[in-house]
Amino acid sequence: MDIAFRIRRFNPEVQGKNKPYWQEFQLTDVEETDRVLELLHRVKWEQDGTLTLRRACAHGVCGSDAMRINGINRLACKVLVRDVGTKIQVEPILGLPVLKDLVVDMEPFFDHYRSVMPFFVNDTAVPTDGRERLQSQEDREKFDDTTKCILCAACTTSCPSFWANGQYVGPAAIVQAHRFIFDTRDQAWKERLEILGEPNGVWRCRTIYNCTPACPREIQVTKAIGEVKLAIRAGKREGIATPVGPIAESNS
Amino acid sequence: MTALVTTLTETMRYRGAIGQWSWVLHRVTGLGVVLFLTLHVIGVAYSVFYPGLWEEEVLIYQHPIFTIGEFVLTACVVYHALNGLRIAILDSRPHLWKFQKQAATYVLLGTIVLLIPTFIIMFGHVLNHYNESPTFVDIPTLINAMLRFAIGIAAAAALAVLASGLYGLIGGNQQDVTVGKGTGSRMERFWWSFMRISGVLIIPLVFGHLAIAHLVQGVFDLNMANATIGGVPIADAGAILANGINNSGTAVEYVAERWNFLIAGVALWRIYDAALLALVTVHGFNGLRYVVTDYTMSSPLMRRAATYLCFIGGVALLVVGVLALLGTIDTTAVQLAEEAKAHFLSVP
Repeated sequence: MDIAFRIRRFNPEVQGKNKPYWQEFQLTDVEETDRVLELLHRVKWEQDGTLTLRRACAHGVCGSDAMRINGINRLACKVLVRDVGTKIQVEPILGLPVLKDLVVDMEPFFDHYRSVMPFFVNDTAVPTDGRERLQSQEDREKFDDTTKCILCAACTTSCPSFWANGQYVGPAAIVQAHRFIFDTRDQAWKERLEILGEPNGVWRCRTIYNCTPACPREIQVTKAIGEVKLAIRAGKREGIATPVGPIAESNS
Repeated sequence: MTALVTTLTETMRYRGAIGQWSWVLHRVTGLGVVLFLTLHVIGVAYSVFYPGLWEEEVLIYQHPIFTIGEFVLTACVVYHALNGLRIAILDSRPHLWKFQKQAATYVLLGTIVLLIPTFIIMFGHVLNHYNESPTFVDIPTLINAMLRFAIGIAAAAALAVLASGLYGLIGGNQQDVTVGKGTGSRMERFWWSFMRISGVLIIPLVFGHLAIAHLVQGVFDLNMANATIGGVPIADAGAILANGINNSGTAVEYVAERWNFLIAGVALWRIYDAALLALVTVHGFNGLRYVVTDYTMSSPLMRRAATYLCFIGGVALLVVGVLALLGTIDTTAVQLAEEAKAHFLSVP
């Protein structure tokens, strides 16, 4: 099978390439089970070594190769040719500064991530038996979905509110906050709700639902954001988050 | 501006599903309704303060250009109402997200289903009117009247930018609005709830209002001589401005009849209009603030100006509207209206 590739290029250091432009590549002998990442590799290795992209594990775990493929944010390593057809258009995710070709500066994204205290907080003494803090299966299920985030930024950069306003904390940071807010063992949930209650916190979300299908981990992103909003409104976290499903099932 | 341009072009390019397009439509229809709300509240208030201008305004509403606008406006209100209901439900029950696409489709279908009979009835009013070979206000009059609003809006915008500039000079432009810095108001929580609650409350009120002014009565009947008044029973013994009949055939008397109608001593339509005014104005101008501030975040000057403009606009409409609702319309006002109507419809 032959593939027509259209790739958004940008190189700030080279005259004539320092404005974003489209470049086309043709690939032959492509299998429909090839991943888009493999095709990008073939372009880089066989046709143009200057093509720049970010990837590490190549198996949908590290979250480094989020890009806009045929108009939708996805991981290049999780999309097969048969999912997108023989004409493939690839461009960097939107809303973060493009450094070169498909590589964007993730620092603003991580700044938002850090702003929601994405770590476990519990200053009470450890249980007397010296072992772990126990939690019921039901309580664990309430935030199971949001533990799956790999910080690829596909959701945040699919959000029109984020495109317009890079100071909006964005879906991914809210998902990460959700994971701790609804963890019964965590004690900093009030601070996180306070942070996300700021004007550029959850309230910039207009319930557009671009983020949910953009997530390569199938996290129910808009639902998680909605639950954080309700928790801020209610000033409590009990009785708000609903489990996506039994853990064993949702992780299989 | 870059933020707005980026969002517009990229929304066209990003293959977001129906949810994204629902959001676009929600914003566009909302902006349309706020614009008309501004004309309309000031227009009705004219009936108390400058009766001739309200008469002119209704004649302008009857102009073919505004007849097209009336259909567009009705579509905007219906879509915004149904989609707003969808958002309010999904926001209060996040786990229902799986039905959001279906819901968005139902909103579109529901809009069409509601609009078909509505448009048929409205078109009937249009045909009736055109059968009587009507005269319309001329284009210069129309432009002149709209210019007044444009100047008013531009003045409010200039005032907002000026105030924001002054604030920047005195208070500085350095406010850090990134999340986690502890700055920024905590009012957004209130506004978020307000938009959803007020939106749901507005739906029955605005549908009732549309039904009376566009279906039962029709815009062309507002200044029709001896027409009955929608929502006001005929009282033969009543005073001339409270007998349920538009004796003078003026839009000013139409308003007077409705506002003078008492049921058990209560001015039903004044209260109805007051509720509509308060809810729609606050909802509309806060919605406007959402839209404008979304695209002005990179400039502290414009961001503040956007908020000020919405505040100025909302408060101005509330004040004008409330003063009008508390005012009285007497026979002198109706006389002025009659003269104005004759003047605007006189063939040169």
